[in-house]
Amino acid sequence: MTTQQKIRDALKHYGTMMAAVIIILVFSLLRPDAFFTLQNLVNISRQISLLVIVAIGATLIMVMEEFDLSLGALASLGGIIGATLAVSGVPILFAMLAAVLGCALIGLFSGWLITKFNVLSFITTLAMSTIITGIIFAITGGSTVFQGVPRSYRSVGTSMVLGIPLLTIIMLLLTVLFWFIMRHTPFGRKLYAIGGNQKAALVSGIPVKRMKVIAFALCAGLSGLAGVLLSSRLGSAHPSGGDGLFLQAYAAVFLGKTMFRGGVANIWGTLVGSIILGVLANGLTIMQVPTFMQDLLTGCIIIMALVLQKIGAKTDDE
Amino acid sequence: MKKLLALLLVCTMMLSLAMSVSAEDLKGKKVSLLTANLSSVTTNQMAEYMKKGLEEHGIEVTVVDTKGDFGQLASRIEDSVSAKADAIVLISADPVLVLSQLEVAFEAGVPVFGCDSGFVEGMQVNATSDNYMMGEAITRYLFNDLMGGKGSVIALTHRPHPGVVKRSNAFDDIIKEYPDIKLITEQHVEVPGPIESARTIMENLLLSNSAKDSVTAVWCAWDEPAIGATQALMDAGRGEVFVTGVDGNSQAVELINEDSNLKATMAQNFEGMANIVVTEVVKLFSGEEVIPGEQYAPALLITKTE
Repeated sequence: MTTQQKIRDALKHYGTMMAAVIIILVFSLLRPDAFFTLQNLVNISRQISLLVIVAIGATLIMVMEEFDLSLGALASLGGIIGATLAVSGVPILFAMLAAVLGCALIGLFSGWLITKFNVLSFITTLAMSTIITGIIFAITGGSTVFQGVPRSYRSVGTSMVLGIPLLTIIMLLLTVLFWFIMRHTPFGRKLYAIGGNQKAALVSGIPVKRMKVIAFALCAGLSGLAGVLLSSRLGSAHPSGGDGLFLQAYAAVFLGKTMFRGGVANIWGTLVGSIILGVLANGLTIMQVPTFMQDLLTGCIIIMALVLQKIGAKTDDE
Repeated sequence: MKKLLALLLVCTMMLSLAMSVSAEDLKGKKVSLLTANLSSVTTNQMAEYMKKGLEEHGIEVTVVDTKGDFGQLASRIEDSVSAKADAIVLISADPVLVLSQLEVAFEAGVPVFGCDSGFVEGMQVNATSDNYMMGEAITRYLFNDLMGGKGSVIALTHRPHPGVVKRSNAFDDIIKEYPDIKLITEQHVEVPGPIESARTIMENLLLSNSAKDSVTAVWCAWDEPAIGATQALMDAGRGEVFVTGVDGNSQAVELINEDSNLKATMAQNFEGMANIVVTEVVKLFSGEEVIPGEQYAPALLITKTE
């Protein structure tokens, strides 16, 4: 293997990881006093936690080469259901559980529609996101839910365990759990098989439809959970509070696709993708870079990470 | 190709470096202006007024916009605390929505101001208009002077905004006093993109209310939906429908003077609000006493005749 091939190989496998390390190094050098501190590490881990949770859900869907465009709306709905139930006196745990289950049911329904009628997931979930927005406005009348949100509801999103935010712990547990599921269980392997070649998966006896329905339900449940945790973190639920997570989640998954498994969505990659997005937003704010420049830089860095990985991947084609 | 990419990467990093170095070279206090809606003309105006006013005092100002995302806004507040900002100013963002993060700022001793936001315990000053009074004044003008106490009205609003919801509450209270005025529907206007959203809503409502005089007026909680609604009405040739807004933004005032459907707005004194914040921030930095609470910049009714 020539040096050039080695570089390409390194770029292909570790390009995204290297980008993350370089970005962290640059910020650490420029603002060691504010960026490279334990406090800020805690901040970043908390800030990306909700994105990671939604992005794990998106990863399950992307593994099957499908799309769920209702992630953001589901996150908004999760927050609204959780906060509304908490305000009406339902015990916090049940309120949160109901929100997650409610969203999972919607995902189940989307998955059923997609597999039963063989319709495009792209369009079905887009339509579903509109329906969810309608449900949110029916519940809230367009208002933010904040009056009467119990203080205990905020505790999940704001409390710390041994100096680590509870949100970070939840994120790490879910990351490990879903990494294990995707890597070491028949369920995960079947999802990858469906994404690799759906017809072959079907012929080899994999219950493709059932797997897809479960994946959509899991994805929706995770989005709902992120929404609940967001409303807990903020102490309020905004009718479109989770919408912003949608594009970011897919950006994280696409960044992560460039890692480890040669262009296939994977959990660790998604985590690194989320870290890149989170560190960029955090570091650029700390460096007081104006918003427009933050957008420009973030976009450029994502494109560069993708292109560099593609250059590395050319080794295989040649 | 690879060289070009490498060059781009280097340029991007250098640009970040250059920007940070220039920022660090500046002396004086650091203030973060944080908003979730900088694309709004008025929010933008306030940010600009404050930036200018604070920089005149040698204060270093950063404007951060999270484009409608309150989760991101919460994160950026945390970042500003990490970056040891000397003060945070929330623009057009309800502090209640980011209360946990503001509490982190309060604990870290970072003073928090609001500009057209809201006020929570622990904040310094929120400069705003009395939104309920503005809603009341414009609603009474519409119902009495324009509609003559009867007819049907469409309301376009955005209740998640802390100021806007007070205007809508005033509308809700006052319409009860007018039995001859019927509310056709209240519609939620999307933000960002309120002009386009209101225009689309209005176009659709006109299809279901196509007869002349089936709609007497459109009450808009702020100027941007009023502009969108006016555009839709003008396109449809429905010159008989009155539109009112609130804010007094320049595009709306222009439409009022052009004899369009838009008849009146309440001029919010955004410059006044920004000036209040600048004054209070400077007072705080100079060691003077700042009395916590809301301060109102007075609003004015704008019509063509005035």
